[in-house]
Amino acid sequence: MAKRVIIVDDSRAVIATAELALEALIGSGVIEFKSYLNPAELLGNLQSGAENFDLLISDVNMPEMNGLDLARSIKSDERFKTKPIIILTTESSEELKMKGKEIGVTGWMVKPFNDEKLVKSLKMVLGV
Amino acid sequence: MDNLRLLIVDDVEDNRMLLQAICRKMEGFEIEEASDGIEAVEIAEQWHPHIILMDVMMPRMDGFQASKIIKERYPQTIIVALTAVIDPNMEKNMASIGVAAYIHKPVDKNLIRFKLQSFAALLHSREGEFNKLSTKEAVNLFSRDIRRFKTIFEISDAESIMDFGNWILIRHDETLNVPCRRMDIALELFYELMRQGIRQSGSMNIIVEENYEELFVTLKFKNMIDLHPKTEALFHELGENAILGEECAYIRLTMHSYEKPDITAKEADKPKPVVIQEAKVEPIIEQAKPAIAKEVKVLETNEKEMLRQSFVRKTSAIEYVQDIGGDVLDEIRDLESLDEEWIEKLQALETEPTLENIRQFTDNVLGVYVRAINNLFEFTALAYALSSLGSFLKEHADAIITDPKKLKTLVMLTEHLGSDLTSWRDHIFGLQDTADIHYLDSSFFSSCMQIEQIIGNKEVASNDDDDDGMEFF
Repeated sequence: MAKRVIIVDDSRAVIATAELALEALIGSGVIEFKSYLNPAELLGNLQSGAENFDLLISDVNMPEMNGLDLARSIKSDERFKTKPIIILTTESSEELKMKGKEIGVTGWMVKPFNDEKLVKSLKMVLGV
Repeated sequence: MDNLRLLIVDDVEDNRMLLQAICRKMEGFEIEEASDGIEAVEIAEQWHPHIILMDVMMPRMDGFQASKIIKERYPQTIIVALTAVIDPNMEKNMASIGVAAYIHKPVDKNLIRFKLQSFAALLHSREGEFNKLSTKEAVNLFSRDIRRFKTIFEISDAESIMDFGNWILIRHDETLNVPCRRMDIALELFYELMRQGIRQSGSMNIIVEENYEELFVTLKFKNMIDLHPKTEALFHELGENAILGEECAYIRLTMHSYEKPDITAKEADKPKPVVIQEAKVEPIIEQAKPAIAKEVKVLETNEKEMLRQSFVRKTSAIEYVQDIGGDVLDEIRDLESLDEEWIEKLQALETEPTLENIRQFTDNVLGVYVRAINNLFEFTALAYALSSLGSFLKEHADAIITDPKKLKTLVMLTEHLGSDLTSWRDHIFGLQDTADIHYLDSSFFSSCMQIEQIIGNKEVASNDDDDDGMEFF
């Protein structure tokens, strides 16, 4: 069954570049891809049970909600506690990474990202 | 200032050619090459390059030795070390002799260009009106006893504000002993004064004078300026170290060393040159290039980021918009009329991929955006990224118009970038609902770089180092 990968980022260009990087995996049915521009909307859908994921890729700086706060809220929910979250951001400070680590995110990748490496890491995390 | 002299040092001819190709595209540089450290030192002696791109591993004399000799003789030279080996010790050694930046190979051409452009901006900002001011007469109100060189900045736009910020922050790190809290206040005060100075009279000058104990920063406005209450409060906090005159503001910062200068002995013991010895500056003055008669060190990216954070604190869209002049705001709001054109020009390019259609988009759409954003204080990286994207598209025009897949990808990504810019305008200048505007600058910067990376080619992405990979926790 296709793994459900969600990306949340306030930039359409970033979502499009990520989708482009994952094109082959999407095309071959290994993953299904869904994007959100608004983290609050994603969180609402997850909490109401309307949304689910096998891997979440999240930005950090977004207008309404910070990606790390989003990750914390998701991780505090029993249903998503063990689900992997990857942070994809322009931020590279050790302080923020430490915060991510404490929250329990799986990995950290800095933008602009290398698409081959994104695919490689994603396959590793999903075991596909 | 005439063209900047750039020396490329690498023992491998292919590498020199690659660097030449990267740098040739940039205006304002004269380029020479050297194939090892000894040749680099010889050329430095005869030609006095402003900037050197220096390979580290070379036969006869390596880049470290060559940099050390050149920095000793010509401390104002900016040296950027390039190496394929990741060696923190070497980086530390390089930093200790004053190498400005360290770039890992394979080189990222955008990074090289970005670095060179920032260095060039810093060098140019130092040119100022150096010759016009008497070097003997002090302009500050704190002390008549000053060293004979002054550093003068002309502040007229966001870029020059950042240049001054960079410079003062470097002086702070290397020489000033101001308690951190007070330096924060001084930085904020400089920033506020520069913004208000530009807004109220178009441009202003900053003159920095030094003796061996203190640094005196004089901000000279074109006419009397009205101060915000916030700025007045900052003034007040600096107490006797800040004086407000009619058209001037004077601020004093205290240097690290209180000892009187017996420079030759004392300076030699210190790991970093704290003050520039005047003797070393003289050869440059004789060559009628007084503009860079000061030491120059350039910020690393992370330092720059730190500077941004300390220099411009969290600012909400509401505060930001209130603070911008009406003309600038109008120009940004006028960009709305470009939204349709953005899409039309891209669609025209997709239907009819010609050089002319690329130019239509870069000059008549991207170019207009860049001109408007150039007036915004907080979005220098965005303006730079859009202008870089424009040059990139022109540079790769042939590849784009002959490769339908590439063209399609480019059009798709650039359309998305256009929508992102529309949201950016709406949320900051229209709805004003963004809690902190700053992150958007770096976010757009990375989006543009990402587009260049995808269209430019994927070969960059195939090396095996882990610099840009995922960090797992």
